[in-house]
Amino acid sequence: MKRFDNKQTGLLSSADLKTFKGQFIYWLFFAVLIVVCIISLFPAIWTLLTAFKETQEIYGEFSMFPNDMSPSNLWHRISDSWSQLQLADSFINTIVLSVGNTVSTIVVCGFAGYVLSKLKPRGSRVVFTLVVWTMMMPGQIRMVPNYIAMLNFPFASQDSIIPGISLLDTYWPMWLGAAANAFNVILFKNAFDALSQSYVEAGKLDGCGNFGIFFRIMFPLSMPVIIYVSIGALSGAWSDFFSPLLYLDKHAVTPLKIYRLQSDSSIQMNVRFMGFIFSSLPPLLIFLIFQKRIIGGVNIGGVKG
Amino acid sequence: MSSTDSNTIELRKRMKRKSSFRNDLDAWILFLPSVLVLFLMIWRPTVLGAVWSFFKMNAYTPGDFCGFDNFRKVVTHTQFLPTLWNTVQYVLWSLILGYLPPVLIAVLINEMVHFNNGFRVTIYLPAVIPGIAAMLMWYYIYYPDQTGLLNMVLVKLGMEPFAWLNNPTFVIPGIMIYSTWKGFAGTMLLYYASVQSVSVELYEAALIDGAGIWKRAWHVTKPQLEGILLLCLVNQIIGVFQIMEQPLAMTGGGPNGASISLGYQLYQYGFNSGGKGTGQAMALGVIVFLILMVMTVFYFWLNKRVEDRY
Repeated sequence: MKRFDNKQTGLLSSADLKTFKGQFIYWLFFAVLIVVCIISLFPAIWTLLTAFKETQEIYGEFSMFPNDMSPSNLWHRISDSWSQLQLADSFINTIVLSVGNTVSTIVVCGFAGYVLSKLKPRGSRVVFTLVVWTMMMPGQIRMVPNYIAMLNFPFASQDSIIPGISLLDTYWPMWLGAAANAFNVILFKNAFDALSQSYVEAGKLDGCGNFGIFFRIMFPLSMPVIIYVSIGALSGAWSDFFSPLLYLDKHAVTPLKIYRLQSDSSIQMNVRFMGFIFSSLPPLLIFLIFQKRIIGGVNIGGVKG
Repeated sequence: MSSTDSNTIELRKRMKRKSSFRNDLDAWILFLPSVLVLFLMIWRPTVLGAVWSFFKMNAYTPGDFCGFDNFRKVVTHTQFLPTLWNTVQYVLWSLILGYLPPVLIAVLINEMVHFNNGFRVTIYLPAVIPGIAAMLMWYYIYYPDQTGLLNMVLVKLGMEPFAWLNNPTFVIPGIMIYSTWKGFAGTMLLYYASVQSVSVELYEAALIDGAGIWKRAWHVTKPQLEGILLLCLVNQIIGVFQIMEQPLAMTGGGPNGASISLGYQLYQYGFNSGGKGTGQAMALGVIVFLILMVMTVFYFWLNKRVEDRY
């Protein structure tokens, strides 16, 4: 096979692949990966199939595939579940939440990364060390104090002289949390480090101020990392259920809504499963559109601190 | 002549100083939002959590200083040691089930000349599904009657249905099977990047020396991955030690507390105790923090050594 002849030498070389033993090992690897793929996909496929079954099929027949797979019935199950689940509000809430998260993390962490990488004002080294430490700091100690701070923002206790405001049932706790992401700061810093300092000097010679250099030169050049961080923030917001569980009530986002449906006994199992699918579709869409960047983008993140 | 020279030099110096001040000011203005949010969301709550753990909390308002009272209550609680042991079990099971598969799969995918990209996309799917949807999917996969996927299969094969998550010995490995399924692809991509960066020359040199496939894996691939393998090990231990969402959504800590982790216990103290356990929540937070800080310091020391090596 032609592909075998051009294979880069790794564990297997193209010479190995000419022998029976080499080919056997190659196809063995291939089979193992197919099994891994099946394990990865199977729960999702089962969920999908169950979502399209009728209730009595789920509780009575225990078969893999739904009995009636005609397009009209499938469509009926989708529309019926959608109207029962009433996810429209929570979808809009999640969009607001995720866009806010993305903007705040890009702006705040982007600026910080730029400052740490290119401007380096006096005193920033200390903050940088703090940021690196922050990245690895275990988070559970902050859970309750953070909640208390949100009750009376920005003061941490209720007996402060100036009354604070309660941020409960607003998106601010999540937006602020997304902005306070030390990992993204480091990611931006590394990305700006890779851009040559001479861009800054060239900009200065042409009479560009610090802000001009950032917005006209650095910002467009760092698009790849911006897109990478945005994808992370967007899909993170569509997956996060714990912070909404603490902070949101009326403005429930989709993951929280899905969690609450668990205790709603009027919802049948097939409808519930359709809910899992609805809630997975937006992140799945983001993944499929940007899969090259997500799968190739880990190199930017890496393990470097 | 010389005085005008020194004048211009002086002027330049002053301009430079002025521009450097201006530069610093601009920089700090850009930096301010980040420092402010990090202070409000991370640094201050960490310190407050530590301080308030020594105070009697009236629901969410700090009251009087009470010394180690909260800590005493947490540690002497009859469930504390079992919970700690559960948490250690979570970590052990996550290492047994989930530590090696990502690196092995990364190595295998790197060898593929067919569907290389397709494999990566397919395997990444579980990581894309929102955590809560995935946890509840697995809750139904493990469902104790025949509607659950696993019991459906068992009954089809003529066996008795099994209790899965309702079985106290299976519940922790069961949750870790889910977590491995959900999380291995992310780690796999991390390994994949470093597997790809192993230089072809090394393999070719080994090939010329007559090293077989397994020898090449052991003597070429493995040494190149040792650094990231260690980092991921420490990272995984720190991550799983804080496990909370899985017991919260999948078991509620049951059956009979068999799946309560320290993190879940903290959540219960903080938000499900009618305001009575807030102080204990913070004391438990400090305990977890101290345990993990030791791990973190070790991680940084390791990270530095690994980076120095390459």
